[in-house]
Amino acid sequence: MHPEELLRKQAETAPDPGAAEALAPHDLSRLGRRSRRVDGHRKSTGSEIYTDDIVLPGMLHGKILRSPHPHARIVAIDTSDAEAIPGVQSVITGRDMPLAYGIIPWTRDEHALAFDKVRFVGDAVAAVAAVDEDTANEALTRIRVEYEILPPLFEPEEALEASGNPIHEAKKEGRNGNITKHVHLEFGDVDEAMAGSDVTVEGEYYFHGTTHTPIEPHCAVARRNVNGLLEVWSSTQVPHYLQRELARVLDLDVAEVRVVQPAVGGAFGGKSEPFDLEFAVALLAMRTGRPVKILYTREELFYSHRGRHPMDMSYRVGATADGRIRAVDGKLLLDGGAYASFGLVTAYYSGQLLMAPYDVETYRFDATRVYTNKPPCGPKRGHGSVQPRFGFEVSLDKLAEKLGIDPIELRRRNFMGLGRTVNEFRVQSNGFMECLDKVEHASDWKNRYGRLPRGHGLGVAGSCYISGTNYPIYPNDMPQASAQVQIERSGRVTVLHGASEIGQGSDSTMAYIACEELGVPVEYVRVVSADTDLTPVDLGAYSSRETLMVGNAVMMACRELGTKVRASVATATGVGAEQVRLANGWALAGGERMPIARAFMLAEAEHGTLGAVGHYNTPKEGVHGDYRGGTIGASPAYSFTAHVAEVEVDEHTGFVNVRKIWVAHDCGRALNPMLVEGQMEGSAYMGFAEAVMEHQRVKRGTPEGGLHDAPSLLDYRIPTSLDCPEFIPLIVEANDPEGPYGAKEAGEGPLHPSLPAIANAIFDAVGVRIDRLPFTPDRVWRALQAARADAAPESESG
Amino acid sequence: MNVLRPGSVREALGMLADEPTAIPLAGGTDLLVHWPANHAGRDATYLDLGRPGELRAHHWTDKALVLGGTTTYWDVIRDPRSARDLPLLVDAARQVGSVQIQARGTWAGNIANGSPAADGVPVLMAYDAVVVVQSERGVEEILLSEFYLGYKDMRLAGDQLIREIRVPLAARTGQRFEKVGSRRAQAIAKVGLATSHSEDGWRVVAASLAPTVRRCPSVEALFDSDGAAGSVEDVEAALAADVSPIDDIRSTAEYRLRVAARLLFFGNA
Repeated sequence: MHPEELLRKQAETAPDPGAAEALAPHDLSRLGRRSRRVDGHRKSTGSEIYTDDIVLPGMLHGKILRSPHPHARIVAIDTSDAEAIPGVQSVITGRDMPLAYGIIPWTRDEHALAFDKVRFVGDAVAAVAAVDEDTANEALTRIRVEYEILPPLFEPEEALEASGNPIHEAKKEGRNGNITKHVHLEFGDVDEAMAGSDVTVEGEYYFHGTTHTPIEPHCAVARRNVNGLLEVWSSTQVPHYLQRELARVLDLDVAEVRVVQPAVGGAFGGKSEPFDLEFAVALLAMRTGRPVKILYTREELFYSHRGRHPMDMSYRVGATADGRIRAVDGKLLLDGGAYASFGLVTAYYSGQLLMAPYDVETYRFDATRVYTNKPPCGPKRGHGSVQPRFGFEVSLDKLAEKLGIDPIELRRRNFMGLGRTVNEFRVQSNGFMECLDKVEHASDWKNRYGRLPRGHGLGVAGSCYISGTNYPIYPNDMPQASAQVQIERSGRVTVLHGASEIGQGSDSTMAYIACEELGVPVEYVRVVSADTDLTPVDLGAYSSRETLMVGNAVMMACRELGTKVRASVATATGVGAEQVRLANGWALAGGERMPIARAFMLAEAEHGTLGAVGHYNTPKEGVHGDYRGGTIGASPAYSFTAHVAEVEVDEHTGFVNVRKIWVAHDCGRALNPMLVEGQMEGSAYMGFAEAVMEHQRVKRGTPEGGLHDAPSLLDYRIPTSLDCPEFIPLIVEANDPEGPYGAKEAGEGPLHPSLPAIANAIFDAVGVRIDRLPFTPDRVWRALQAARADAAPESESG
Repeated sequence: MNVLRPGSVREALGMLADEPTAIPLAGGTDLLVHWPANHAGRDATYLDLGRPGELRAHHWTDKALVLGGTTTYWDVIRDPRSARDLPLLVDAARQVGSVQIQARGTWAGNIANGSPAADGVPVLMAYDAVVVVQSERGVEEILLSEFYLGYKDMRLAGDQLIREIRVPLAARTGQRFEKVGSRRAQAIAKVGLATSHSEDGWRVVAASLAPTVRRCPSVEALFDSDGAAGSVEDVEAALAADVSPIDDIRSTAEYRLRVAARLLFFGNA
């Protein structure tokens, strides 16, 4: 097609921008609009390609043999019978991949397949590739493993005691191998401030453990192509780290490993490190010379876990008579399960992320993460900080009660504003006060809190979360995020970036940014993401980092191109470059306009091929404290949230009916409010479910000790749409100078106040504090019974 | 797995007479739940009841609703007369799994599966349903409330097929179905209760509170004696004599008994 024909056609279909001069700048912006997702149509019609949709010629199916024992030494493995089955192509064991791996370079304690010991029921022991799944399953039954049973440790308190059979060998003489990490940090003199406080409250809190339950189970496909390149498609949220660990464990040149992340059907932190199946498909593909696929069963998903740590927490909070927080003293015991995963970071986060949005005079926390013979815990949406937030925000409610101060007012009095937290994180934007105002107003708090009929109650809680972390998982000075943008002369813009689209909308967000900067309609943008061969490095979808970090990288690349395009349009039309705008498929120059493709052609003719790269690196100076561990949890920008929950407690059944949740979240600039609200809704519902329904736990005793008690979607209770409360999203935009257009995170922060807001609402409803999660009917009913029993003698004597 | 595919009830009964260990299969919804782990089940023989059309239809007489051996929950939900004349059947059917399960699952399958947590059985029992079983030896009619002998143990021999279920129509002055699950859909009952009242007196049926779904004679007697029990404690004591709940992953014995008693008292007082 001749260029002029193409332009005529585009001009016919492009939306009429009207007279450019008549439009205010915000009318031309596509940010802040409720826009459809770039992958929305594919996902809603079922045409999206997930890893399990990939079928390659000659592909084999793999299965993994898992330990039936929670703790045992592997004495011998005999795979000969399995290998003899017709259709079985390869059987591998831990001896084939002896190098330990782990997402955190300082705590590499896992093997792709168990090397000498198994540490939880479900630990991978061997893997098989066969012509079909039935044959592979049959082969698993023929692998003979001789175990020497070791006593299992299920209770974190027991793990604190050094034993003769530690779950992991201690790294240093005299240490307890059952401890992953101990962190003790103090800011100011807590004892002195506590002693000087007018009032103190204390409590013991327990978070019970929950898992992610994405719709899509983990899946990986590998093949080694004729050039020797190892290609792995995986349902992961960290392609870059996976590529590096595959190369390390398989002893390959990292340049010979390609990781591609197809569409992911939910992850929530449960796919943010390498897993046994990824190593297994890779080695099986290398051994057999054929592609190999492994898809976890739902049961395997419950065992691979990496979900939220159970935590025993105690908090003591001291305050002045007018409610100003003087001292916070926390002690936490984290039940880590069998491996470290992100546990070193979890231990830090459990203390470090608590100290905003409040101005706290002194703070101390002591966190210990221990190993137990259970499925390993790891990061789940709101990594490390959801549990302490529960304990702390309930403590604040108790403080408000004790002082006779309205709980929202108490939080206002302690608002930190901008500046430094007590643990020295730099906060440059903070919309928490507006969040409180919004939920207070929307819930009619002033007229309803403390005044609803018995059985009905309102509760409030606040929180803060990070928009990515300042330091990457492995130390380096290179950018954390990068992007490459190409303009094709048809008007098409291709954005190549490393961010992992896991349902949160990162591909869409990057497309909106390209539209904003280059003036193309969203249909003209192609997003290519998370393919280590094609896209520049990004570290992955964790810590709520994608919008801020990759968004900045895409913005940088697009701005370089936009400058060139505007300059060329200016030259052609004779106006100043500053008067040229690119928007809605048009280049607008003074009173003139041209289809955006013509502007691109002008620029390509003048500057040559149009392409640019962009990157983002985090600020390192003056953004955190100099103390050991001071960098962990420090973020370029912080989001803030406030919830009000309304509950109805049935005193006959103990059933807590969460009727409504108001969520106000400060995400900085909301690039697409619909996506932000989706993240707020998903977070609030996940938190709601963790508060009243979900529980990841294993059985105790012999012989079933270590078995998951409900590894199915029937009995592991996630809510259905009928169970979910009414949800009211309230977006607050306190723009941050570090974020693209001021944007911060929205994917994890809004979860945090869910649990304490519901706990505090239960207290308002029935006057009973339940400091142990989850608030299941029998637990609530027992608490009500106990409260009644406590109250009865007094009423009799009084 | 070995599958027999009879074309008629007569053929099916012949096959069962020859091979009484064959497992009749209708919607398959209970079979599939355990299929991945059910290694022994792969070698079993199944009798597919999908072809005999005469088993599927349900019909109304002037005295009863007659459900066929493969009538589904959805068949009953879809029939407008059900909600009018036997509303608990619709209430219970709506609680079974999901819509997909309701479309495949059958009433007879729910009876033959023998789960103590069944959703369909309690309401049938509260309506005095009669199970009609057939074999080459003849036809037998058994009151559903007398059908179960123990956990997964019932008066159904290997050569017998549930031919139909007869649900009597009666003037009922009260009827109720309550299911307490872990969530509002796609859940298995922690407590299930079906009650009805007619000139024959009260029927109180409990699910998930004993090894089988069962009637609660002490509670029925209490309700019959003065129309309504005097206090919730009376109901709890009577119920405790009728059932034997256990602790399991879904709930505790104490919670089940306590909640069931409250539902009975406050729902029927």
